[in-house]
Amino acid sequence: MADVVLRAEELHKRYDELEVLKGVTFEVDRGQVKVIIGPSGSGKSTLLRCLAMLEPPDAGHVYLETQQLTALPEKALAPHRSEVGMVFQRFNLFQNMNALDNVMCGLVEVRKLGRREARERALEFLGRVGLADKAHQYPEELSGGQQQRVAIARALVMRPKAMLFDEPTSALDVELVREVLDVMESLAREGMTMVVVSHELRFAHHVASSVLMMDEGRIVEEAPPDEFFSSPREERTRRFLSLVE
Amino acid sequence: MLASFDTHLFWEALSSSPYWRGALLAIALTIGSMAAAVVLGFFLALGRMSRRRAVRGFVFGYNWLFRATPTLLQLIFIWDALPQLWPVFSGAWFKAWLAAGVALSLNEAAYMAEIIRAGLLSVDPGQEHAGRALGMTRRQILRRVVVPQAVRIVIPPTGNEFITILKLTSLASVISVQELLTAAGEQASRQFKFAETYGAALVYYLVIVSILMVLQSRLEKKFTWKSGGRRRVTAPAVPAISHDAR
Repeated sequence: MADVVLRAEELHKRYDELEVLKGVTFEVDRGQVKVIIGPSGSGKSTLLRCLAMLEPPDAGHVYLETQQLTALPEKALAPHRSEVGMVFQRFNLFQNMNALDNVMCGLVEVRKLGRREARERALEFLGRVGLADKAHQYPEELSGGQQQRVAIARALVMRPKAMLFDEPTSALDVELVREVLDVMESLAREGMTMVVVSHELRFAHHVASSVLMMDEGRIVEEAPPDEFFSSPREERTRRFLSLVE
Repeated sequence: MLASFDTHLFWEALSSSPYWRGALLAIALTIGSMAAAVVLGFFLALGRMSRRRAVRGFVFGYNWLFRATPTLLQLIFIWDALPQLWPVFSGAWFKAWLAAGVALSLNEAAYMAEIIRAGLLSVDPGQEHAGRALGMTRRQILRRVVVPQAVRIVIPPTGNEFITILKLTSLASVISVQELLTAAGEQASRQFKFAETYGAALVYYLVIVSILMVLQSRLEKKFTWKSGGRRRVTAPAVPAISHDAR
C-alpha cells in the first residue's frame, strides 16, 4: 500500500446556501506533488483549507497519515495543524514582526524552542529561500515575491509532513512569480509532499506528479501531467485549458 | 495690560499648593481611570465579538447604559445613590475621589471598548489564518499578532480619550474632590478675582494636555513596524482635541 500523507474522504462543505464541496475524495502520497486547477468558486481553496484543518468539513474525514483529524476537538487540533504547512495567496505575514521573527514565531510559540535555537533554525530556512540578508526587514519593506518566500520559510521551518499552497503566485507581479516558483520547484525536488492550487501550467507540467481538475465542488479529472495536458478525457477540462492557455 | 488683571495674584495662584495638589490629583485620577478603562474596555471589546449571544448582549447593554446617560449624573449617582442602595458603600472607605475614579473608569470603559474593538477588527484576518495554520492557539495569536497591531490603531483615539477624561475630572468638583477646579473655585470665592484664579487653572490644563500630546506622538512612532531609522506615522491623523460634551 502506498505511503499516504494526507487523505480526504467524501468531504462536504457548505456556506449557507452554497455547497462548495460535494463529496471530494483526494489523497497525496509521500513525495508526490499534486497540482489542482479549476475555475474560481470550484472549491479548490476550500479543499485546501479543509486539508489544513482551518475549516472543519460538514461531512467526511481528513486523515494526516493514520490520524483522523476530523475526530479531534479544536484544542487537540492545534498541534496537528503545525504538521501541515500552508502558504496563502496574500502571504499573510505578521506585519508587526520582521522576517526573522515571522519565521521564528511558530518555533517559539508552538514548538516551545528556546529563542537562540529558534533563531538559528529560522536563519537557516531564510537562507534556503535566499533571504538571509532580509532577516531584519519588515513585511511592508519587502517585495511580494520576497514576502511569499518568507511565508514559505515560515511554514517550512516547522518541518511539516506536507505543504499546501493556495494560489501562491496569483497576487504577484509577473516578474516576481519566477522566484517563488523556483523555491517551490527545489522543494519538490527535495521530495517534499505538496498540494498546489495554481494556474501556473508550466509549473504543473514540469513538477507535478499528477494534475487535478476541479469544478463545481467535485474533482472532475486526475491524470499525470503529460496525459492531462495533451489528451484530457473530460470535455470540462478541455474547455478550461483552452481558456487558461 | 488689562485694566484689572493682578499679575502677582495670578502667579501666586499658579504656584500655590492647592493648585499643585489639585493638578496632581487630576492627573492621578486620569491615569488611574484610563488604565482601568483600557483593561475593562479590552474585555468588553472581546465580549462584543464573542460567539455567545448572552455575552454580546451584556456588552451592548453596558455600552448603551454608560454612553446614553450624562457622566455628571453617573458620578452623582455613584457618590450619593449607591450608598443608599448598598450599605457597603456608606463606609468611610468610600472616599469622594474613589467614587469619581469608579464613575470615570466605568464610563470611559464603554468608549474604550468601541475604540479597542475597532483596533482589533482592523487587523487583516489573513494573519489569524496564518497563525492558526502554524498551530498557534487563538490566545497566542491575539497576544503576539493581533493586539500589538491593534495598539497602533488605538493610540490616537486613546490620546483623545485621555484628554477628555482629564477635563472630565473637573466634574468631581461637584462631589467635593480637591481637584484643580475645586482649588480654583475656592481661591476665586475667597478673593473675587476670577480672571487670575480661573486663568491659573486654565494654564494647568493647557500644560498637562500639551505634555500628553507629546507623549502620544512619541508612542505612535514607537509602534510603526519599520527596520531602519526612517519612521513614518501610519495611523491616520486624528485631531488631538475632542469636544464631546459628556
